[in-house]
Amino acid sequence: MKIINIIFQIAILYAFSFVGEVLHDVFNLPIPGSIIGMLLLLGGLSLKIIPLRFIEAGAGYLLKILSLLFIPAMIGIMNYPALISIKGAMLIVITIISTMITMGASGMMSQFLEKRIQKRKEKDKCSKHYSQSL
Amino acid sequence: MQQTLFAIIVILLTITAYILMTRLYVRFSFPLLLPVLTTTIILIVLLSIFHISYSSYMIGGQWIHSLLGPAVVALAYPLYKQRHIVVSYWFPIISGVFVGLITGMTSVLLFARVLGIDQTLILSMLPKSLTTPVALQVSEVLGGIPPMTTVFVMIAGFTGAILGPAFMKRLRINSSLGKGIAFGSASHALGTAKSAEYGEFTLSMSSVSMTLSAILGSIIGPIVAWMFTI
Repeated sequence: MKIINIIFQIAILYAFSFVGEVLHDVFNLPIPGSIIGMLLLLGGLSLKIIPLRFIEAGAGYLLKILSLLFIPAMIGIMNYPALISIKGAMLIVITIISTMITMGASGMMSQFLEKRIQKRKEKDKCSKHYSQSL
Repeated sequence: MQQTLFAIIVILLTITAYILMTRLYVRFSFPLLLPVLTTTIILIVLLSIFHISYSSYMIGGQWIHSLLGPAVVALAYPLYKQRHIVVSYWFPIISGVFVGLITGMTSVLLFARVLGIDQTLILSMLPKSLTTPVALQVSEVLGGIPPMTTVFVMIAGFTGAILGPAFMKRLRINSSLGKGIAFGSASHALGTAKSAEYGEFTLSMSSVSMTLSAILGSIIGPIVAWMFTI
């Protein structure tokens, strides 16, 4: 019963992804179909059009096995044996370094701003002045 | 009939290998044993031994692959559950994602230019930190080679999932919010899958920033590429 429920809920999620895909094609949007589907579902949940229990089990399950879903795409690397060369190694190194830079920059930036907001909130609590933060 | 049987075997093989590798990872929890990585290597080795091409593998593999779309949709679930926190921290989230996108794309351009990599390859590398379906489309729009982009996207994902935790510790990125945003904006869904190990809040921060990266990235990508080609 539980399995049938999960499969049914995944089918609902699939439908959202499909509608997103159609909207993407029809309106020639730069945002990919699955992301449009996600925004639609988010809107549906927020406006209480779609009850959370309709997708909860299916979404939870898909997110639990998320890394499995990448494997077929990953195996595609086998079509690029050229990556095992000096030039390929250079490209891989650039990608790795650039990813680390991205990680460091976005992580530090958001953490810095988060701490500033928290400090401001504490100050607000102490002085009981209600200023418009942000 | 034979093809259906083959597809079923491939699917079962992939899932079995993944389950075994997950057990191994849980047992030793060594970063390089990340199940996606080990399973991929095992399958590539098996396919090469039996002379099975990637396109034949995909007869079965596409069924697993096709679940990526609904999985991206499923990210609405953690987002919805954490919506109040997301709204109250919208500024650090947007800033982190934006800074990540700009540094990620410009660093690729600079390194690649210095090392003399050709234009089409640079353009294929630009969207590496976006989630696969988005990166493919951005690469196509920019004039890159989409299958090549998949490879870079995967490398970016692994870098974050494997090297990320130690690297962030070094940089003292220790808040759940900071970690989640770093994972999501540098390593898209692979980073997001890894971020689940840090709890639901980090997971939803990571999925928020992955989603925002995808949306903003599909707009910023062409602008960055255009600025550097003049």
